[in-house]
Amino acid sequence: MIEEPYRWVEAIANRREYIEDQLRLGSPVVALNYADGLLLLTVSRETRKVFEVYDRVAFAALGHPADIERMRLVAIDLAHIEGFNRAVADVSLRRLVNFGMSPALKTAFEQVFGAPLIVRILLAELGDEPDHDSIVKLDYDGSFARSEIETDEPFHVLAGTGEAQQAMLDYLVEHDGNPRRGLDDALKLAAKTWAVGMDMAEHGRSKEGEEAEPRGIEPEKVLREYLKTRHVEAAVLERSRPATKKFRLLDDKEVRGALKDL
Amino acid sequence: MDHPQPIPQFLHDGDFLGALKAHGYDVAPRLMEAAAKFQHEMGSGSIATEGTTVLAVKYRDGVLVAGDRRATAGNLVMYERAEKLINIDERSILAIAGVPAVAFEMARVLEHSFKYYQRSQLQEMSTAGKVRSLSKLLKENLPLTLQGVGMVVPIFATYEIADGKDGGGKVYFYDALGAQFEGVDYSASGSGSLAVRSVLHYLNTWGGKPLAKYNESEIIVTALRVLDTAADSDTATSGYNPKSDIFPILRVITKEGVREIPDSDLTRIYRSEV
Repeated sequence: MIEEPYRWVEAIANRREYIEDQLRLGSPVVALNYADGLLLLTVSRETRKVFEVYDRVAFAALGHPADIERMRLVAIDLAHIEGFNRAVADVSLRRLVNFGMSPALKTAFEQVFGAPLIVRILLAELGDEPDHDSIVKLDYDGSFARSEIETDEPFHVLAGTGEAQQAMLDYLVEHDGNPRRGLDDALKLAAKTWAVGMDMAEHGRSKEGEEAEPRGIEPEKVLREYLKTRHVEAAVLERSRPATKKFRLLDDKEVRGALKDL
Repeated sequence: MDHPQPIPQFLHDGDFLGALKAHGYDVAPRLMEAAAKFQHEMGSGSIATEGTTVLAVKYRDGVLVAGDRRATAGNLVMYERAEKLINIDERSILAIAGVPAVAFEMARVLEHSFKYYQRSQLQEMSTAGKVRSLSKLLKENLPLTLQGVGMVVPIFATYEIADGKDGGGKVYFYDALGAQFEGVDYSASGSGSLAVRSVLHYLNTWGGKPLAKYNESEIIVTALRVLDTAADSDTATSGYNPKSDIFPILRVITKEGVREIPDSDLTRIYRSEV
């Protein structure tokens, strides 16, 4: 039983190790901006991973499907109750994360008698203008990191391992190019980044204390291999959409059309 | 968002009213608050809870919904720009006759419930479900209605598209206690509704062709004429008001969604046809 603080720390360390192990092979998620807004993309088997939370807020995650579902519903509940009791404009990603989802996840993680949630979450919010767009990564222990839109890095990724995440971020920085890219280009970039991450998660295993070596892969080839058994799941938050709801799940035809020259 | 709650274990059924209650917000008291505020602002004395006319009529491409713009209290004209048509989602409109404060609160709850359901359940609520949600809200409002204070008599108009199947325009009307009825061809509510329904019945039965076959211009002309007719005999209804150049509000719901008919079109049509 947990009687001493030391045992608590030990329990937490074990818990972290266990969860990281569970998350290792999760399918990565890429979020990046394009001319008309924000794109979220993953390549999944059957379970859905990209969802709408509110008028301008989207959610994607990797991890245990039941835990993903719970956090998704928590986000939707918080957003709608706030939007109803105050106003749609008062629902912001910052508040959702800082005051709602992060404390809940941290509590679940630290209560060693209860079960933690095995999730890693990416949330994207469309601001009124591109400078106010926001992408936040939220982890199972409640820690969160906002992407620095203002400093040329308007993207974020989720991956099962630290190396896979780094590999994806490096790839994005290298191939970033034009933030005013069209949707087709954004889809191509995101899909290739996903392939880099998935490959690294499955094959790149670093030895103790060493950094994982960058694998000399062709993302296009890797992607084509995966697409034999998986399908691309992508959604956008489109600024130009006339309705107040900006979220749109891209259909298969549109995605296949954009990726056909890869 | 208040202080953190432990992550709940729940079976989620997409019920927004239930979620509100779980977070300590109850709908019925809020409707009472809205009605109480309205009472206070209008002053004591008789309130024309029905002073208005709204109508919804099915035509070739879907449904046209129209509402006059006058808000009265007893014999006082309170406001000439009242909006009685509320867009609930991309394809639905709530047209209200009754106490605006309560109706707006209901419209807010309705709008949020549909979005909440669709996002949490990953499928849009069926038309039947939507119609029933409004019915449930009206029943929540029962205490106010029975007191004669917060009565709302709405019309719900929508265009039904389910799983790619085109169900066409649909019109539902309610009594004050929440019972719902589907209007086969049209529906009207409010103090001018009798005049509206009479004219529409005449046109539909002996007018040369049924309203359901009218095209968009024809149905707009009909709606403007019918509201003018109602205004003729009911002081609580205004048709086109030439002194202030205010037109009734007209919106159409087609399979592309809700579209408001702009004042410029209404001006042109009114001058030539009405």
